[in-house]
Order: sequence, then structure tokens, then C-alpha cells
Amino acid sequence: MQQHEIHHFLERYFEANECTVEARHPSYMKIQLTVELDKLLMNRPFYWHYLEKTGGVPNPLTLTLVTGQQTPPDGGGEFIHFGSPRLHQIFASTKKLGSFIRMYESITQHSGQNIALHPWLCVNMKTSYQCDRKKDRISSYGIHLITGRMVESFHEKLSKLPLTRKIPDFCYTLSPFIRPISGLKRIESLVEQEIKQDDHSWAEDAKARWREDEDLLDRFYEDEEEKPEYYHVEKEALRTQYEPIISVDIINGGLFYLSETALS
Amino acid sequence: MNLNINFNREWHDEFIKRMDDDGPWTKWELYNLALEAEKNLSIPDFLGLQAPGHLPQLTFLPHQLEVAKTVIEKMNGKAILADEVGLGKTIEAGLILKEYMIRGLAKKVLILVPASLVLQWTGELNSKFFIPAVAQKKSYVWEQCEVVVSSIDTAKRQPHRDIVLNQDYDIIVIDEAHKLKNKNTKNYEFVQHLKKKFCLLLTATPVQNRVEEIFNLVSLLKPGHLGNQENFDKDFRNDKHSLKNEEKLKQLVNKVMVRNRREETGLKWPKRFVKTIPITLSETERNLYSSISELKELPQFSRSKFSVLTLQREVCSSREACFMTLKNMLQKDPYSEHTIVPLMKKIEEVTQNSKAMKTLELVQSINDKVIIFTEYRATQLYLQWYLQQHGISSVPFRGGFKRSKKEYMTHLFKNHAQVLIATEAGGEGINLQFCQHIINYDLPWNPMRIEQRIGRIHRIGQKGDVHIYNFATENTIEERILNLLYNKINLFESVIGELDEILAKFELKNIETYISDIMLNSESEGEMKVKMDNLASLINLGGGIKKKGWEEHAAARDSSFS
Repeated sequence: MQQHEIHHFLERYFEANECTVEARHPSYMKIQLTVELDKLLMNRPFYWHYLEKTGGVPNPLTLTLVTGQQTPPDGGGEFIHFGSPRLHQIFASTKKLGSFIRMYESITQHSGQNIALHPWLCVNMKTSYQCDRKKDRISSYGIHLITGRMVESFHEKLSKLPLTRKIPDFCYTLSPFIRPISGLKRIESLVEQEIKQDDHSWAEDAKARWREDEDLLDRFYEDEEEKPEYYHVEKEALRTQYEPIISVDIINGGLFYLSETALS
Repeated sequence: MNLNINFNREWHDEFIKRMDDDGPWTKWELYNLALEAEKNLSIPDFLGLQAPGHLPQLTFLPHQLEVAKTVIEKMNGKAILADEVGLGKTIEAGLILKEYMIRGLAKKVLILVPASLVLQWTGELNSKFFIPAVAQKKSYVWEQCEVVVSSIDTAKRQPHRDIVLNQDYDIIVIDEAHKLKNKNTKNYEFVQHLKKKFCLLLTATPVQNRVEEIFNLVSLLKPGHLGNQENFDKDFRNDKHSLKNEEKLKQLVNKVMVRNRREETGLKWPKRFVKTIPITLSETERNLYSSISELKELPQFSRSKFSVLTLQREVCSSREACFMTLKNMLQKDPYSEHTIVPLMKKIEEVTQNSKAMKTLELVQSINDKVIIFTEYRATQLYLQWYLQQHGISSVPFRGGFKRSKKEYMTHLFKNHAQVLIATEAGGEGINLQFCQHIINYDLPWNPMRIEQRIGRIHRIGQKGDVHIYNFATENTIEERILNLLYNKINLFESVIGELDEILAKFELKNIETYISDIMLNSESEGEMKVKMDNLASLINLGGGIKKKGWEEHAAARDSSFS
């Protein structure tokens, strides 16, 4: 992620969170935080606790973030880069803030007739393949909660549709047939099947490397009946180093009510 | 293949709850930002380096990128980084560290460096790599900070030791790791107990004098890689002084060690200009030297010829250095009064220091920053005083200085003083590439230490040519060692990276002792010359063979990456 991308991301982030941008510059920004974001980002639980107890007037902080060469005229400001803790904190906060959604397809043209919107459950997930190396894959699935039809790259398809937070006029939603929790389970088993069909030579290779190092370790201490403590430490270290692990995390998801023809 | 897949289902419960509560629901923009954030953090491929893309302000040299790739992809993150001095091992380590952190494979990191380098490492990781490293100052830092830089001496001491050994580190980086060559030391034992998932050992001199040292170092990193002590001896040790199956050993070591040489990097290096400067002793100095040399013949010195050698070397340095040693000898053995007091009288007769005068002259003519290396603290003090008398300001530098003092002295030298006077211990761990002149006021008898001295200024970042001045007091042991050995093996001109391997190859246990031995036990000048010649040709021959071996190895490594 380049600095200008970070800058753009931050602007969108603070605007989406209804903060006032007090100073706007290609190289920096000064943000008046909302109470909610102050609590999320500024790490001052005692202040907020105190305020709640005493019923005082909340006074959220301002935050100056620098993404380029130029610093604000009044000095200060945090330099934000891809590795900076602040950016990672902000990234992490998006997971809290942007995890659960419900949207409706925005339908403006209608022929006087009411339009039925079909319930879809969408999840975006990250699958991580980890040993002493690591790779991630981001995928998106949608399941039609009436027919059970599943669609891949669902988020991409959603991105092309006009969406709104409120149900549009002259539209009504169809009730789900499949409970969302069952929908999630169906997606999970689909993902599991797909993962199982993947090429897992990476895991086999990692296990081979693991075995190789473990053999060496065993040989190093083969003459010692009572293995020293660091033999076990080393053995455990090898496990954490090489053990292949696949983990699937849901990034975010939610319900989308779409017209019958939306995905065709 | 049977693989466990962990589905994280925390999201499910919360989602169901929000369904029941009919919200709250996020906005489309925030929803997209969350997904974008995750996309930015995700790693597209097992192989390749992500880090350079995140560090656009840094320009990595090709060999540095290759080292990072090799360590991560071929060595599984456990490696000895043994590039020659000045090729940027710190950069390589930072790059590897960054890569693991970006990939989410490392969060908790411990970096153990010499005390004098703690702040420099902390600073460089933060400013160059955006890695939030913290210098260990308070004991809570171990637990609360994720990336901690500390000296090994602090970390191994209680109460730190227990806390440190309890942490679950993902990467451990150890700078100047050649100090871990002896497995009977506390440092070795401490590092052995650390849980090493990924581990980088940095050293410019992987095998200083003994082949055992490489065994210990590799066994620390990857126990069993060279077998256990017994198999190692069986497989690779011929007898006390030589190796067998050397090719095999080299192959094994190269699986865990990357070593770049200046020549191989294809970088343009500043030139080295070496000049030997002869020093003629004054009459009184000569008298002193002769009287000291005669001690050898005395019966009470027959057992401690080595101390005579020390005294001889000290006379070549300064009368102050010599005096301190004599004083100590006298304190230890009051009966030696009748031999030592006359020598002290001779010291009093010495009115000038010919070497110091030459130093002054040279420093004045250079008219630029100069580093003077001496072996003796008394000489260091004297030189500082002497230069001061002639209006030249200098700063002292010793290994024993605290971290902050070393940095302050470096700063003073850079900005305020013309001369830095360092004792041997000051040779390691400071970067002085803003200086182009080194005076070897007196020479250490371990050639590797000369390379470390020169390496302080002959490194990446040095803009000009490097000038090395070697002082040789005429008709003394100093001149002999320079002419008979160092000049013959081109110690100063050529890159002596091979030297450590050569010394290991011939199992020259301790080259210093070996040289002392020649000096002490040769009956005549001729015998000494022959012995020195032998040593020189041994080293030269070994160097030739070795060099070829390494080039082939480098070529093989290149082709595997093309």
C-alpha cells in the first residue's frame, strides 16, 4: 500500500465515521474525532469512564496524521505508513466498525407493480495457509436463502449494484427459507470442500522440512537419556515453525436483498 | 492430505444477535473499507518478498534482496548472516524481519546486540523499516513491547532472564554472534535456552580461529545440523589440527549460512591505500627496548617469556604502556625489584615518543578525520594528552564505554574532533564511514581484528578512498611481524574474508599464540624468517584454494536463483 493510497483510505475512513476534517492537505490531515472513534483509537478508557461517572461534557481529541513529506504548519502529527501501529489499529477498527451489514438493492424504476427482493447472505473471508511461510486468499460467497444457490465472488457482483440502507419504495422482502446460520454452514462446507481439493504440496513440503529438522534434533541428543530442557523447547519451536495450519476467518458479511434479476 | 481447517466462528454469533436485534448495521463504505484493509494485509504468495514494496524509501542492493530470499525460502528462517564487514547485514536482518512481520509470521521479536549498538538498531528499525522496536530500559518492556532491542548481557541477567525465557518469541536476532562460539559461556547457555522459531545470527567472522566455533554456532541455530559432537568429530575431524571431508562440511554449513564477499557483490568499493610508515627509535628508546629484550635471557623470565614479548610490544607503543606493565609485575613479585627498577630508570630517561611525534606529523598533514587504533590504554591516554598539547582535539573510545557514551563519542568525533583514539575493543560495533583515514598505531596479532578495524570505515556509505597507515618501529618485533607476515599475505590490501576460513582449515587454534611462539622460540633471525614464511605461504595457498571453492559456491547459488 503506497502512501497516497493510505492517505485516500484514511480520508474515506474518517468521513465514513462522520468525523470533521479540520485540515485537508495532500500530505497530512487534521481530524476532529467523534466520541466513538476517540474510544476506539485513543486508548484512554479512564477518561471515558470518569466522564460517564460524572456526567461531564465529552471532549473527543483531534488527531493529526501525516502521510507525506510535509508536516502541518503547527508541527506535530503522527507519520502514518504501512507498518505504523496506528494504521494497523485503524485497519483493525474497520473490522469492528464494518463487520455486519444489511442492504437493499436500490430500485428506482418500477412499473407500478411491487417488486420482490430476494434474501442473500454474503460473507467475505480470508483463508490463511501457514507453515514457516504464509499465504492468504480472500474470497467472497453469497447464498440465496430461499433456493440455497451459492455464488462465488459475491462481493464483486454486489459492488456493481446500486445499494441502499433502507428498503426502497414499492419493494418488499421475501422471507428466508433457509436460516442464516444454516446458510453459513452451507458456505462453510463448500469452502471446506474447495480447500480439500486444493493443491497442498506446500503443507507436505513443510511437514518434510519439519521432520528433517526434528530428526537432526533427535540425533543431536540421542546419547542423552535425560533430554535437557532446551531439547523440548527446541522441539516445540520446530512445531510452531513448520506445522501447517489453515484458518478461515470471516472478514465481514451480511444480508442483501436483491431483485430477481440482479445477478443475472 | 489430512489437514485441519480452523473455522473461526466468532462472527456467526454476533451476526445472529444483530439479526435478532435488527441491527446495528454498518454503512456500505465502512463495509468496503474493512474488506480493503484486509486485502491490503493479505499475502498473495508463499514466495517472494513483500517487504521492499512497503519500504519504497529504501534502496536495497541486489545481494541484500537475495540474502533475504535465501534465508526465508531456502533456510526456513534460521540462518547465519555472515557477509563481510560493511555489506549491510543489519539491512538484511531488518528486511527479513520486516518480511516475517508483514506476513504475520512474526509478532514478538527479540534483538540482542552489543550494548553500544542498542540505540542504533532501535533507531534504524524504526526509521528505516517502520518496525516499532523499543530499546529495553525497564523490565516491563520485555512483556509489553513486541519488538525489543537489548544487549545480551542485560537479557541474560536476573531478573530479566526469567522474564525473557518465558516469552514466546517468533524471531530472535543476534548481532555479533561470533561471541557465541564458546559453548561453555553464560551467553551461549542463555541463547540455547531461548525458544528459537526463526533465528538470525549476524557475524562478520563466523569462524575466528577454530573449527569448533562453527560447530558451536551452527548447533545453537540448528542443533544436529552438523551432527552431535561425537559424529562431528568422527565425520570431519582428522586429528587435532586438521579436517577431513571438508567439502561436505562446507556444503552443510552453506545450508545455514549466507556469506557475501565484496568482490562478489559487484559493487564499486572505495579503494584501499596502504602505507607502511617506518619509525626510528631515539637512542634512549632503543636502549629501553634492548634492555627489555635482554630479559628473555634471565632465568626468572624463562617461564614467562610471553610477558617479555608483551613488554617489547609495549615499548614500541609508548613508555607509559610499558611502565604500567612493569609496575604491575613489581606489585605481584616484590623480589623482581632488582631487575625491574633499573628498567623503570631507563623509562625515565626516555624523553620523547618517536611514534607519537610521527603521529602528530601525519595527523597534521592529513588535515582530515583520523582514527588511531592502539592496543594499550596507557598509550591512548598519552596520545590524547600529546595531541592536545599541539592543539589537536581528540576523543577516546573504548569497548568498556557504556552504550550512550559510545554514541556520544561517535557524535563528538563526527562533529567536533579531528581524531578518535580507539583501543582494540572499540573496533567492533561502531560505524565511522564518515572518516577515511586509519592509523594502526600498533598492530594486533590477530589478523581478523585488523579487518574489523578497517571495516569500521571501509563499508557501504564510505564516499571516498580509504587510507591505512601502518606504523612499524624499525628493528623491533613490530616491524618483523609486519614485514614477515602481514605484508606477505597482503593483509591490508586484499579483502581478507577468506582468512578466517583458512585459519580454521589449518586448525590454527590461536594465531596469536602461534605467532608469539615463533617469536619466542626461534633461535635466530633466520629461523624466525623461515617459520613466518611458512605461515605466510600456508595462508596464501589456503586462500587460493578456498577462494575458488567459494566462487563455485556463489555461482551455484546464483544459478538457482536465476
